[in-house]
Amino acid sequence: MSKSLRLLRFSLGQLLAGRRLVIVVVLVALPLVLPAVFASGADVDPATFTLDLFRQLVLPVLLPVVALTFSTSSLGSELRDGTVTNLLLKPIPRPAVLGAKYLAAVLASLLVLLPAEVVGHVVAARGLGSTDLLAGMLLATVVGTVAYCALGVLLSLLMARALLVGLAYALLWEGAVVSVAPSASSLSIRGYTEGVLAAVLHGGGLGLDTRLGPVSATVLAAVVTVAALALAVRRLERMDIP
Amino acid sequence: MSGPAADAPVVELRRFSKWYGDVVAVADLSFELLPGVTGLLGPNGAGKTTTLKAICGLLHPSQGEVLLFGRPIQHDPMLYRAIGVVPDGDRLYPRLTVRSYVRLHAELQGLADAGAAADRAIAEVDMGPLADRRLKGLSKGERQRTKVAGAIVHQPSLLVLDEPMTGMDPGQRARFIELVRLIGSAGVTVLVSSHILAEVERLASQILVLVSGRLAASGDYHAIRDLMADQPRTVMVKVDDARRLAAGLIALPSTVSVELDGDALRARTRSVESFATALPRLARDQGATLREVRTTDESLEQVFRYLVSRR
Repeated sequence: MSKSLRLLRFSLGQLLAGRRLVIVVVLVALPLVLPAVFASGADVDPATFTLDLFRQLVLPVLLPVVALTFSTSSLGSELRDGTVTNLLLKPIPRPAVLGAKYLAAVLASLLVLLPAEVVGHVVAARGLGSTDLLAGMLLATVVGTVAYCALGVLLSLLMARALLVGLAYALLWEGAVVSVAPSASSLSIRGYTEGVLAAVLHGGGLGLDTRLGPVSATVLAAVVTVAALALAVRRLERMDIP
Repeated sequence: MSGPAADAPVVELRRFSKWYGDVVAVADLSFELLPGVTGLLGPNGAGKTTTLKAICGLLHPSQGEVLLFGRPIQHDPMLYRAIGVVPDGDRLYPRLTVRSYVRLHAELQGLADAGAAADRAIAEVDMGPLADRRLKGLSKGERQRTKVAGAIVHQPSLLVLDEPMTGMDPGQRARFIELVRLIGSAGVTVLVSSHILAEVERLASQILVLVSGRLAASGDYHAIRDLMADQPRTVMVKVDDARRLAAGLIALPSTVSVELDGDALRARTRSVESFATALPRLARDQGATLREVRTTDESLEQVFRYLVSRR
């Protein structure tokens, strides 16, 4: 096994160790699966219900909270408690260390979010339901996770209260500012994920109006992710390790 | 990895300085290290950890150069194949066992048989019986030895140890000193920091003395110790009858002064060794019970400052 892969496996194990995984899974699964259970017995369109739940609960709250929690602690907690020296004092370039930590945060987030979304969807639809809707939600989740995790890793290298600042961005900027000034959605990861979701749903007949088109949303998500990771690499290479 | 330059010193600092805003941690430090054990001695806050971190590539010099095998480590992470580090502080993963922690180090070094290398390193630091215990349940001395095992698992040619004996009991210290001397005699360059003179004395023949971020003295331990011996040291003694013992101590030829402070006394002596020999005898003759005897850090700092003033 290569050193980077070993580091990735170790980092993923650290993120998911102990009771943390159980707590996060319960916190994510309950709000997704429980409403779906109740909705499955009520007279509501499962696709509309699932889409609303995804747009009003997953995209604005669960996705950023989970991704930012894992990504700010992946490297940030090791910097704070000093254990990062165990990794940096090894023949592994710092960009590779950062890459492993970033990928561990992405995988941990997806490991929590994707199964909960699939279960919630299947329960609400009493079966497979709309595969376009499921594919759109999963793809949007992947895009959002990749971008939020890049932002979280960068913030954890810049400040001690990275999670707080990340959540303020997700909940205040994306939640409040973008809703009153829609043009700000070009600076909103949530806006990118909705653009990707809309692109998939459009092909499946489920309409969704978003300010960003699929190409703009995808390109902007990629630009934000790459820029955040590049800045994080630059920061890690230049910083003094306490 | 291109091999280390054959004729380059293992470690070379050229006018290395490090400052944080207006605070100068280390100023204009130059020295070279060759194979063998070198002690980095200095009071707390002298710049020892800053210097060691710069050597390990964790800190960037504000000015000057830090070269390992002739190259700056920041530009060449593959140099870490030749370096083992025991950093200051705990810096351990509490959920891991001793074996899995040391094995992680071996795997991140890219060793072919990481398990065997880990077992060998664990045995070298006498942690074999505790190999499957979690780190969070170990004593400070046991955790220190685990860190040492992680640092030597890949048999480095440069070993950097920052206050490695913190928390070890006397028996563990003796075995650790033996191990470090063995590693040094095998041709490994070992740099070990301490603020305890007696500790360095048993470890290293060559020492570097740092005071207030500057190199106060360097070279053979005994020559520097002779310089230090000129200066009185302060010994704090806690005893059940301080006044009576003070009368006996002031009569010793090496004693400069004795001050009473409640149930303790502070004696300034020109020879800690003769003081340490005479003290138990005096206490026994007077029927006094010694509760604590230690040289104070402040007095050591005075000695270091004296070295600076002689330069």
